Amino acid sequence: MTGSLGRIVPIAINTLREAVRNRLLYTLLFFAVAMIGFSVLIASLSYVEGERIIQDMGLASIRLFSVGIAIFVGIGLIHGEVERRTIYTILSKPVTRSEFLLGKFWGLLVTVWIQLVLMSLAFAAVSLLVGAGFHLGHAAALFLVGVELMVIVAVATLFSSFTTPMLSALFTLGIYALGHLSRNLYFLGQQSDDESVQRAASLIYRVLPDLESFNLSLEAAHGLPISGGDVTLATLYGVAYSVVLLVLAAFIFHRRDLE
Amino acid sequence: MPIRGMGRHSMSGDRREIVRVESIVKDFRPGLGIRAKRVLHGVSFSVREGEIFGFVGPNGAGKTTTLKILMGLIRATGGRASILGQEVGDAAYREHIGFLPENPYFYAFLSAREILRFYARLSGVEGARMESQIQTLIDQVGLNDASDARLGTYSKGMLQRVGIAQALIHDPQVVFLDEPMSGLDPIGRKDIRDIILRLKSEGRTVFMNTHILNDVEMICDRVAIIVKGRIRYEGPIRAFLKEDELRSDVVLAHLPEPAAQAMARDFGARVQTVGEQVEVQVREGQVRPVLEAALEAGAEILSVTPNRISLEHVFLEAVERGEAAEAGPGSEAEPAP
Repeated sequence: MTGSLGRIVPIAINTLREAVRNRLLYTLLFFAVAMIGFSVLIASLSYVEGERIIQDMGLASIRLFSVGIAIFVGIGLIHGEVERRTIYTILSKPVTRSEFLLGKFWGLLVTVWIQLVLMSLAFAAVSLLVGAGFHLGHAAALFLVGVELMVIVAVATLFSSFTTPMLSALFTLGIYALGHLSRNLYFLGQQSDDESVQRAASLIYRVLPDLESFNLSLEAAHGLPISGGDVTLATLYGVAYSVVLLVLAAFIFHRRDLE
Repeated sequence: MPIRGMGRHSMSGDRREIVRVESIVKDFRPGLGIRAKRVLHGVSFSVREGEIFGFVGPNGAGKTTTLKILMGLIRATGGRASILGQEVGDAAYREHIGFLPENPYFYAFLSAREILRFYARLSGVEGARMESQIQTLIDQVGLNDASDARLGTYSKGMLQRVGIAQALIHDPQVVFLDEPMSGLDPIGRKDIRDIILRLKSEGRTVFMNTHILNDVEMICDRVAIIVKGRIRYEGPIRAFLKEDELRSDVVLAHLPEPAAQAMARDFGARVQTVGEQVEVQVREGQVRPVLEAALEAGAEILSVTPNRISLEHVFLEAVERGEAAEAGPGSEAEPAP
């Protein structure tokens, strides 16, 4: 392996090796799997649509906990390297700051994707055990959770490139919350008679990630049709949004003094 | 990358300049970043091929800041710096340099062998060459018995050895070491000194930040002394340690104050009162007249000790001058003594 890839991959592998030693990751993973299991108990208390409750709760748990892992493992991504000065020796090699950043990004993304696969396996096992089934719609919904995680990891990487873990967590959580509300904000703004409010709502919608476009939980849990075109479009949107964030992160990180 | 042969030839010697620092200024903006604090005030020096260059200064003088600028970790506010003829900040020249930061820290969950593989891959060293280079370096830095133990279990001295090994993993031409002997026991310091001398014998250039003057005296060819962000001296270590420039410490008792002042004035001696005694430091040619003047003033001669001028004297003088300059105007770099 030569060139940039030859430098990005070792950094990504190291990030992955470091991330899997984070106890918080296992705690969140444990709670996610416990919640998926717990949904069976909740469903047993209901007289109607027990399978739907299990799948609704399961998918919601996967979304919530995987985003939690992405944020809380990702916030110290760069800061930790600067704080412990491990970055000094890395950047004294022929490694550009952009390659370093990309290595950290891919390392964390692969970590959260592995967690997602583990949670998805638990979800599929519980769904099949209770007879709720696991079909292509579920797979599509889980795939888009993976794309959403890519965007969240890119957001965490961006904030981690210039701020402290605490602020990075706050900003990333804020973007996550606003990202799920951005579509509603846009529609609310368009109902206003004031043109400037409409334009502001439109601008906010374009700048913030539209994370609801990755949410197919309802369709998957209720067996509603899912369009392949929508999944492709959402994937392309997620990839493009992540690329823009990473370019911005590289631009900021390139100018930063590593004191 | 055609780095060999690049770099300027110095005006004062045949060997080419490997590192050139010209009027570097660095401002930091602590706190809210409203007021800038200048930590480097036009620092200039050069390092020549094949030499061990000691960058010496007290804590907080600006040594590490200068080194970070050379490594591209922070940006200079003004001035220029180049390594092997290339401006710092560019990743290309880093193929040819190795860097040991102060108190290096490595991923604690990896072993020495694993971390060296990591750095080798980052440096483009792969396959059989990587494994053979790792084994050679592990042997050279004396980590054979612990090479597969996790770095989290290593002592400070062992981490320093790993740090040196990673700096050399890609066979660099120039090696930058930030306080390489700091915190080591005498055996550890000797081992690191031997490694540095071996690097020089292999034709590499070594830049060493340090405040341990004994080590500088023992191994450096040239030094620059930095005090409060300004270069006070730059020159060959021999210029400081010339055998014919001896000083003597004369210790007197019962020397009247006017006589002490006259000694300082007439003979250029450094006079210091310590309790009942007066220590007078004079150049070798001035010993006899100082002794005669002391006897004439009714003083008692307790001892006369000839001393070679050490780097420590020069260093302390530079620090004193730096502090004096800080208090008043006129603080440009001065030539070597």
